[in-house]
Amino acid sequence: MAEHGKDMDLDDLFAMARDERPEMPAGLQSAILADAAAVQAGWTTPQPEPLRGGFWLQLRQAVGGWPSLGGMVAASAAGLWIGFTGPDFLPDPVTLISASAEEEFVPYDSYDLAVLLAEDTQ
Amino acid sequence: MTSGAAPSDDALLVLFANGDGQAAAELTTRLGPRAFGTAFRVLGNRAEAEDVAQEAMVRLWRIAPKWEQGKAKVSTWLYRVVMNLCIDLKRRQRGGHVDLDAVPEPEDPARSAAETLQERARWDALQGALMQLPERQRQAVVLRHIEELTNPEIAGVMDISVEAVESLTARGKRALAKALAGRREELGYGDG
Repeated sequence: MAEHGKDMDLDDLFAMARDERPEMPAGLQSAILADAAAVQAGWTTPQPEPLRGGFWLQLRQAVGGWPSLGGMVAASAAGLWIGFTGPDFLPDPVTLISASAEEEFVPYDSYDLAVLLAEDTQ
Repeated sequence: MTSGAAPSDDALLVLFANGDGQAAAELTTRLGPRAFGTAFRVLGNRAEAEDVAQEAMVRLWRIAPKWEQGKAKVSTWLYRVVMNLCIDLKRRQRGGHVDLDAVPEPEDPARSAAETLQERARWDALQGALMQLPERQRQAVVLRHIEELTNPEIAGVMDISVEAVESLTARGKRALAKALAGRREELGYGDG
């Protein structure tokens, strides 16, 4: 009987606890709602896509994907082709380089200019 | 949220994930007091219960876009997070050599002045007796007898079997009755 009485007391206490839940503090409610707004704002703000993957993938993403990369490869190949098999009316760049390296005559160097002028006066 | 029937917690969470601010307010009204009340009963400390409730709700907001409707009850998921946060807090405090169970239960300042002294005494007596229980027993008793979860739900929250829940709640109730036995008259229950 005594045990039964204790159980009833406990049930009564539990019922009281259910009826009188501790009220949520107003500050807590506003903090929770502020958190909710912040989390939602994080979803709506567009975030720049971080670069992921290996070096080549990052390079491809950096130059603008496959179309840009294709254009770059085509331009590079065309440049190389023009370099080796250029049109006849253009000077051979290799000859130009070697010629400029060999040619040490500077027409307007002060010494050479003096010699030229001397020749003219003779 | 214009239809007559109140939307489920699941539906509100989906609305929240879609940017509905009103859904957050409704979920806070429904779930906030439960999270706070449960944490308060388990921890016996108002400030810590506030921290736990806020953290649990933040986790709910963050998981909203990934929430699978119908897979779990939102409230059960929240109880689980609250209980885990309470356990984590206790572990950290034990690491710092603070035994909160030894701290006398705080008075709840939110209670109205109109409450009778006897009601206050009963409230405090129950909280004090709860704080004397081992942690897992206290959690099971609070979830079963105050939050009114079913045993399978509690098993899901606490990650234990239904039999273990039954054992914890039975032992918890016995320990509570024993702790309160000497105070029956003081609490207005007579000699029974």
